Amino acid sequence: MTPVAQIPDDNIADIQDYKANSLWRLTLRRIFRQRSAMVGMSILLVIALLAIFAPVLAPYDPTDVLIGKEDGIKKRQPPCIHLLGCDEDQPQHFLGIDGNVRDVYSRMLYGARVSLQIGFVVVTVASVSGTILGALAGYAGGWVDNLIMRIMDIFLAFPFLLLAISIVFVLGPGLINAMLAISIVSMPAYARVVRAAVLSIRETDYVEASRALGASDFEILLKRILPNAIPPLIVLVTLGVATAILDTAALSFLGLGAQPPLPEWGTMLGSERNQLFSAPHLVFVPGVAISMTVLAFNLLGDGIRDALDPRLVHAGVKTE
Amino acid sequence: MKMKNKYYLLFVLMLVLGLALAACTSAGGDEPAGEPAAAVEEPAAAVEEPAAAVEEPAAAVEEPAAAEEPAAAEEPAAAEEPAAAFEPISVAAENCDYGGKISSIEAVDELTVQFNLCKPDPAFLAKVAFTPFGIQPAEWLAETGGTGELLEHPIGTGPYMVQEWVRGDSVIYQRFDDYWGEPAFAETAVLRWNQEGAARLIELQAGTADYITNVSPDDFATVEADPNLVLLPNASPNILYLAMTNTFAPFDNQMVRQAVAMGIDRQRIVDNFYPAGSEVASHFTPCSIPGGCEGDPWYDFDPEAARALLAEAGFPDGFETAIYYRDVFRSYLPEPSLVAVEFQTQLRDNMGIEAEVVVMESGEFIAESTDGNLDGFYLLGWGADYPHVTNFLDFHFSAQNPQFGDPFPEIYGVLEEASQIADAATAAPLYEQANNAIRELVPMVPIAHGASAHAALASLGNAYVPPFGATQFYKLDPGKDTLVFMQNNEPISLYCADETDGESLRPCQQVVETLLEYADDSGATVPELATSCEGNEDATVWTCQLREGVLFHDGSSFDANDVVASWAVGIDAANENHVGNTGGFDYFSYLWDGLINAPE
Repeated sequence: MTPVAQIPDDNIADIQDYKANSLWRLTLRRIFRQRSAMVGMSILLVIALLAIFAPVLAPYDPTDVLIGKEDGIKKRQPPCIHLLGCDEDQPQHFLGIDGNVRDVYSRMLYGARVSLQIGFVVVTVASVSGTILGALAGYAGGWVDNLIMRIMDIFLAFPFLLLAISIVFVLGPGLINAMLAISIVSMPAYARVVRAAVLSIRETDYVEASRALGASDFEILLKRILPNAIPPLIVLVTLGVATAILDTAALSFLGLGAQPPLPEWGTMLGSERNQLFSAPHLVFVPGVAISMTVLAFNLLGDGIRDALDPRLVHAGVKTE
Repeated sequence: MKMKNKYYLLFVLMLVLGLALAACTSAGGDEPAGEPAAAVEEPAAAVEEPAAAVEEPAAAVEEPAAAEEPAAAEEPAAAEEPAAAFEPISVAAENCDYGGKISSIEAVDELTVQFNLCKPDPAFLAKVAFTPFGIQPAEWLAETGGTGELLEHPIGTGPYMVQEWVRGDSVIYQRFDDYWGEPAFAETAVLRWNQEGAARLIELQAGTADYITNVSPDDFATVEADPNLVLLPNASPNILYLAMTNTFAPFDNQMVRQAVAMGIDRQRIVDNFYPAGSEVASHFTPCSIPGGCEGDPWYDFDPEAARALLAEAGFPDGFETAIYYRDVFRSYLPEPSLVAVEFQTQLRDNMGIEAEVVVMESGEFIAESTDGNLDGFYLLGWGADYPHVTNFLDFHFSAQNPQFGDPFPEIYGVLEEASQIADAATAAPLYEQANNAIRELVPMVPIAHGASAHAALASLGNAYVPPFGATQFYKLDPGKDTLVFMQNNEPISLYCADETDGESLRPCQQVVETLLEYADDSGATVPELATSCEGNEDATVWTCQLREGVLFHDGSSFDANDVVASWAVGIDAANENHVGNTGGFDYFSYLWDGLINAPE
């Protein structure tokens, strides 16, 4: 070991500070430089704004049945927009009327709220529990590792949606149970990623150094290892929101998730799936909404991954 | 170390080989391997069962043939010997105190069957023509023990025989070349199903189906405008009702039920969710059934009165419950999920009742609802099987039927009396009384009589919809070897003595025949396996002459003992083959006022 040059204490802090900032700043800059990630972010921004201002933007209550409240209103009416030549006498329905004579536009806006909530709740539950299990397994090693990871392997051995369906079947249909099922099913992926990261970080010099300085296991795990395991987790979380929304919509489509009259995109799609030809707007609109949201999260997730992956840094910088 | 590596290598190699082997065999090799084993087990079971019957003195079937049957099971060749003399069998109740209508059914000679009734039944002929009372060989019923293989492979005398039931996909029929009547046009008939109205229509438009049932209301115009398709309006009377089971709170409270009866805007449902030609139900029985709508019409929609009644019953703010339904398109319920949500909305808006919408699997829903196990509302309906009030009222409100909870004596008492009267005018005051009792007690809320239509390719010859019973495949002429018929849902089982579901009765009717059948264009009965059925003056003794020279699909010949055996399995709860699919035998029980030897 060559002796290290003497550096004043406050300078060390400076250097650490600078480095910490630069990593995140650099990453953020890389994300902003990627066009696809920016597209994803803008779509998400629009969806988020629509969801937040749903009560202001929606002309009707999403569960309000309009039979008898408007003259001549019929189920599954096509969209009526005055600007596009719809008769001025008729009330406007931007996205038409659904099978139960409710305003589809209002339902779509409130549906955005439900979908975003689903995405974030599922990912939070899955990633927090997955991280705890993965970190425990990776750091403790031995039989703890074996036990946890074999259980995770069992989960991973089942087809994703099939397992979710069976869990919902046991718990009973409902939005909360569907979210719980998707959380449980997506948890192993987080546990695996975190465990892998912990395993490699555990052996690094700075962890050794911390241990030599007498830091407790808990401290090392929380302050040294986990913060460094976050980058791969962020990528997974962003992509995970997309799959969570998609899979919950799938469960709702099958009637196992959100129950009527809650305006959920998957349920809306599922209940009108028969009308593909007679009232295409009822299938088209929620379908497009689901795919746009999922696409946005996927684009963003890809962007973050490219920005965080050290192997892609040079390639990314070059092409931009 | 080297040895250890070799072992690992060997292990991995075996694992890979094993996986490859597993992958190859599961594709098609399973079934032949499984079947012989099952076949070996069955004769053994058949041998044991008659022995059990001997020990049971209560069993009312006098079966001289019982001694023969184990022998038949052991040596199939023995059954085919023509030398065996005909020994008539019969089934009888000890006496008529059990409350049912069937006193005894006996084979008089090889081609004559006599039904002795405890009470007169003017609707006897109409009931006998109904598919659940189909005739299967006595030997086949005994061999299967009344369940198992019988549920998938009915053996009948019909123009088609079941070749294979591919679960989840189709039932494949083969033409029966020894059929006694007109042979089927198509050599192979394929019954498929799809729950989605749109998907059924696409199949028809693409020509992959020749005939589809229940066109979606929104697609009526599409079919009519398409020169390649024909719309076939279905004249079969039906009813959709919102049922409540009175053994669960709060539906045990008559005021709650009455409140619901007034608090639903039924006109709004018919206007918005039913095709043109549908009507709001004034009575449970459609008025097209003779004598169907005697008595006062149903309550007018009055949400204030409903809320007042609910408050009086102790639920001023409503209550929480569920609406159960199955997502199967029926002529009485064209859009189940929409109508369920509409009920949810109306219950909430009109009466403050918060109901969760619960969709159930079809078979489970039928079993649970008809057994009276559902603790909330449920959406069920009824299509006419034969043109008589008894088919609607007696089935649903008989003392044996638990689907609305505890049966109401005010209703079933009158119905039992009325069902013995042949003259419609004499029976009318009794039906008026029954309908008024239903209106007062509200076991359910009648909602709508739905209009519906089937559709077929214009090229399909003889396409028709009978008002009662199902379209017979053998009458349809596709002009090619294979007929593809598409219905709404998979059959629950193919042993229809123990089914009530129309999607099961249709596939059964192609295979198994009854003594009489309904005409193609009316509810009149015409001869099928019986050339004639004559009643005595007071309609208590019915004698049926059977058709000669009829063969079953297994090659055995049809005789009076097969008729008695098929009926005995259903009507006699102590019969050793009285097993079926669920064991309910609902039609036997409800249409004949109860089973012989029914357990208490």
